[in-house]
Amino acid sequence: MAYKLWDIRRSFGGLEVLSGVDIEFGPTQLLVILGPSGCGKTTLLKIVAGLDGGFSGKREGFDQSRFSFVFQEHRLLPWKSVVGNALFALSSAGMDKSQAMTRIENFVRLSGLSGHENRPVRELSGGMRQRAALVRAFAMPADILLLDEAFQSVDLKRKRELMRLFLGLREMERNASILVTHDPWEALWLADRIVVLSDRPTRVVDAFDIDLPRGEREAGMPAIAALEMRLSAALIGIETSPPPC
Amino acid sequence: MSLRARLGVGLLSVAVLVGLWHVGALLVGKDIILPSPLRVLREFIAIAPSPDFREAVAGTFARGLEAFAISSLAGSVAGFAAGRSALVQAALSPLFTTIRATPVLALILLALLWFPSGVVPVFAAFLMAFPVMAASAMEGARAAPKELLEMAALFKVPRRKILLEIRIPAAFPFFAAGARAALGLSWKVVVAGEVLAQPHRALGTGMQTSRMLLETPRVFAWALAAILLCGLAEWLFGRLVKWGNTRGL
Repeated sequence: MAYKLWDIRRSFGGLEVLSGVDIEFGPTQLLVILGPSGCGKTTLLKIVAGLDGGFSGKREGFDQSRFSFVFQEHRLLPWKSVVGNALFALSSAGMDKSQAMTRIENFVRLSGLSGHENRPVRELSGGMRQRAALVRAFAMPADILLLDEAFQSVDLKRKRELMRLFLGLREMERNASILVTHDPWEALWLADRIVVLSDRPTRVVDAFDIDLPRGEREAGMPAIAALEMRLSAALIGIETSPPPC
Repeated sequence: MSLRARLGVGLLSVAVLVGLWHVGALLVGKDIILPSPLRVLREFIAIAPSPDFREAVAGTFARGLEAFAISSLAGSVAGFAAGRSALVQAALSPLFTTIRATPVLALILLALLWFPSGVVPVFAAFLMAFPVMAASAMEGARAAPKELLEMAALFKVPRRKILLEIRIPAAFPFFAAGARAALGLSWKVVVAGEVLAQPHRALGTGMQTSRMLLETPRVFAWALAAILLCGLAEWLFGRLVKWGNTRGL
């Protein structure tokens, strides 16, 4: 395992949010962190990215890593084009412009945005904007791609398209990815490894790898049904746990 | 409302105002007190071809633009800096308050003591328009969406690039609104300054001279020229903002 988080604890004021979280994942794995809303998933991502220093515990393998990001909302500059947005993010990557353009054009083509790459983002549809956000994230050379509820703001059909595109782009950049979500189906469909978090104070309640090919991860397939039950048990267990005395 | 409907309502409103003015002029019955719109129009047509009139229009236009350019530039820089830094805001705030509270006539009278007559209108207009522009720019400096700033920070985008590519474009609508208000104010104060300072080649000087000669229709004609000039400047500014919008600002 290349990346490790040991006994991560984080409090805000008197409120303990993360209460001894341990996570491990490999350098090319797609890790999905599944947990209820407000359990500290985004805080955990910030700790991974080195943007939150107020925690206790250990991070291993992250210090020299380069990060890229996909957000729940696209967070693109509306007055800039798809290419302009990607170039904006890449300005810290130390690449010359032609190198950066080659990368960006490649991901634009793979994302089906050819012909739209020079249009201002404000003129694009919601789905195209999400794809443009993926282009930006993948164009940025990174060891770890962090996705914060990245597939939440689109309808089911677009979500599937977007997740397929994400997996396709990942084939080009074999880096590690961490997706945080509260949707078990996103986890089952995408993950190489799943970590399930409890409600606050948050700890890991289950963690396992999924070796099934993605073509065999449709609803009703026996192997996936078993995993779905496992996730449901973990999540329902969280929801039905009695309040602390 | 469609453009055609808006134009129609605008024209109707102008027609009503001119009609009321005409009725008022008929009731007063003395050109020296209130000349009719037709009389003013005739006077305007009579003075418009003269070289003096053209030079006066050019002089006032240049002063108005000068005042607008200086106040917009200085107001943008000072306001933006104040919006970005509490220290700069604290330092500039008494200046803004003092300028805002000072009556325009007091400024013009003082400027008459300090500057040549051609500079007085520009100085007075600058001082009046500067805080208006600065207030808008200050608001604009805080308009950059937080989530975009956070995104830029996560991607470790350099601060200079964040300023040029997020903060300034996000502030552009505020700059445009401030500049539009500053433009209207600049014309009014420039003409008022000209009336008192009497520089060569100025609409305000023409107005004042005509007033002293009791040529009221001519005072109105000069005023009409000032209104048309202000309208032209605002139209040009509108085109400029539209152009800026098509360039992605």
